Formats: sequence, structure tokens, C-alpha cells
Amino acid sequence: MLPTFLNSWRRSIATLAVSGVALGFGFSAWRVNAWEALQPLFAWMETSWLGAIGKTWGGVFAVVEAMHLLAMAMLGGALLVSDGRLLGWLLRDVPVTLLLCRAHRVFVIGLVAALATGMFMACAVATKIYFLPVFWIKMLALAVGVLFTFAIKRPLLADGIEDLHPWVVRAVAVASLTVWFTVAASGRWIGFSG
Amino acid sequence: MFNQLVYEFALWLDAGRWSTLLHESYYMYSWVETTHVLSLIPSVGILFLIDLRMLGLALPQVPASVIAGRLQWPMFIGFGLMVTTGLLLFYAIPVRSAQSVWFRLKVILLLGAALNAIVFHYRMKRSVAHWDNAAVAPKALRRGALLSLLFWTLIVICGRLIAYDWFDCSHGPSGFIAVFAGCIEGQTEF
Repeated sequence: MLPTFLNSWRRSIATLAVSGVALGFGFSAWRVNAWEALQPLFAWMETSWLGAIGKTWGGVFAVVEAMHLLAMAMLGGALLVSDGRLLGWLLRDVPVTLLLCRAHRVFVIGLVAALATGMFMACAVATKIYFLPVFWIKMLALAVGVLFTFAIKRPLLADGIEDLHPWVVRAVAVASLTVWFTVAASGRWIGFSG
Repeated sequence: MFNQLVYEFALWLDAGRWSTLLHESYYMYSWVETTHVLSLIPSVGILFLIDLRMLGLALPQVPASVIAGRLQWPMFIGFGLMVTTGLLLFYAIPVRSAQSVWFRLKVILLLGAALNAIVFHYRMKRSVAHWDNAAVAPKALRRGALLSLLFWTLIVICGRLIAYDWFDCSHGPSGFIAVFAGCIEGQTEF
């Protein structure tokens, strides 16, 4: 679809396009409209059976919260090791492609567990978190993290790390650590808000 | 006797100006707690990766001694951060923490996890030369890795439950709970 000379730039163009759409969304009335449109969904989440369980049994909510933290630790540990390897800080004598591939599996399991437990927790306090800016910051950071990991980092590194400039590899690792740190830190801050 | 000593020590900590300042500082307390929670990533996150390697579930192609040896330092930094912030959190709310059943259970589990880690370390050091490149560690070490996963799962659950006041001494629990929590008869400060 793109002219041949732009083929090697397709990922950069797609990234810029997605960033442009996100910025346009963030600074326009669309954002407020979308937020208002989501209110019935959040009200329904709290009345769903997941919401009812979370609200009725504090013990179940607390254990799921702990599982959410363990999933975060698993996801973060895998990320720390793979990004630490890209930065040349950890496991320098282990082949980078092998390490990234294997650590990514652990990362995905941690991510799925964090999403499942996070969904349960969100249902129990849906109408509260709906009004918390920090919750939306976390959701935005999560979306950026998932997009960055699966649409940019993975394909970019899969094409051959040896062909990339070392500073590009380091920048990818720093960006990855920064965005996932933001997800984790803003997530904890939800508990202190509201 | 033991519970009385713990209570008096907690009261002494609680009387300190810095303890109150830390507890009542919205940002400082929240930052310390957030750091405590995020320190799970370099500590438990990396520990789980090492345990999963021993079970053959993560990085089976990489020698076990490389995973355990090279990752132990970032893991220790994580645990150092976790212990430091954990002590600060205890210092901020000493009486309630010292009399929390979840906190006491967590300390027992932490001791169990530490003991398991020491046994695991020595067993691994003694035998790793024979199985370093094997995808799965020998049975005794696999048991140690499973125990480690179990201990830390329970530690995180207990840590999270400290925030809940179901069994607090201020609610006047009775029987085993009151003894395990270390509630003192007639105590006026909680």
C-alpha cells in the first residue's frame, strides 16, 4: 500500500499516526464524550456478579489484590531481566534473542494474570475509580505499554538486534521500563486516591 | 511476657516524633508504601524467574547456575529495598502492626522463606555441577523452588491483609486470635 521507498519506514509512520490520533483524542471533546459514554458500563460492572463478589467478601477482594501484585511482580521481573539484558546490565553472556523470547512468555503470563485480577478488582469499585484521574492515567499507560511491547518492541527486535544501532536498543529498553513503571506506580496510587 | 515486651517496644517506637511525622505525612507515607510494593518487582519477580527455571518452566536452555548466580544481586537489591521500606512502614504504625495477626503470620512466613532459601542455596552449590545444563533441577531443589513460590505467595497475601482491621485488638478479639495478635488486657493505646 505504501510506496516502495517508504517500506522501511512503515513502522515509524504507523507509530506517528497512532501518536497523532491519541494526541488528537486527548486534547479534543472526543475524550470527554468517550468518558461520559463509558459511565453506564462502569455502573453495570459494579452490579455484575464479579462486582457483587468483590463488594460482599472483603477477604476475596484482598486475596485477588495480592494475586494482582504477584502478577505485577512476575511481569515486572521478566521485563527487568529482558530490558536489563538489552541495556547490557544483566546476563550478558546469554544469547539475547533466546533470553528475550523466553522472558517474553513469562511476561505474557504475568500480563494475562494482571489483567484478569485487575478486571475483578475494577468491577468491585467501578463507580469509584470511574471518577479517579489516576485510574485513567493507569489505563492510558497500560494501553501504551501493550501497544509499545507488541507493536513496536517485539517486531523491532525480532528483525535482528545486530542490525540496530546500540543506542536504539538501549532507548527501547529505557522506554519499556519507563512505561511499565508508570503502569505499576499509578496502579498503586489508585489505592491512595478517592 | 513476650507479647507485653513487644507491646512496650511498639509503644516506645510510637512515642517518637519521626514515627508520627511519617504516619501523618500523606505523600511520604504513600511514597514509602508505593516503593515497598514496587520493590516486589526486582525481588519476588526475579526470585520467581529463578524458581521457574529450576522447575523447567522458564529459560530451560540457560544453565541454572547462570540464572541463579547472575540474577541474585539485582534480587538482593530488591529485597534490600523491600526490607528498608517495610521497616519504615512498621515504624510509622508500630502498635497496630505489632499486634496484627497478618503481620505476625507474615514474619513467621518470612523466616520460613529465608530458611528455605538458605537450604536451597547450599543444596544447589553442592550439586549444580552435575545438572547445570539440565532443563529441570533435581527433585530436592524443585521442592525448594515450589516452597519458595508458595512462601512468597502467602507472604504477599498476608502483607496485603495487614491493611484490613478484622482482627485488630481495638475490636476486642478473643481466644486464639487475641493471644496470637498479642492483645494486652486493658491496653489503652492501639
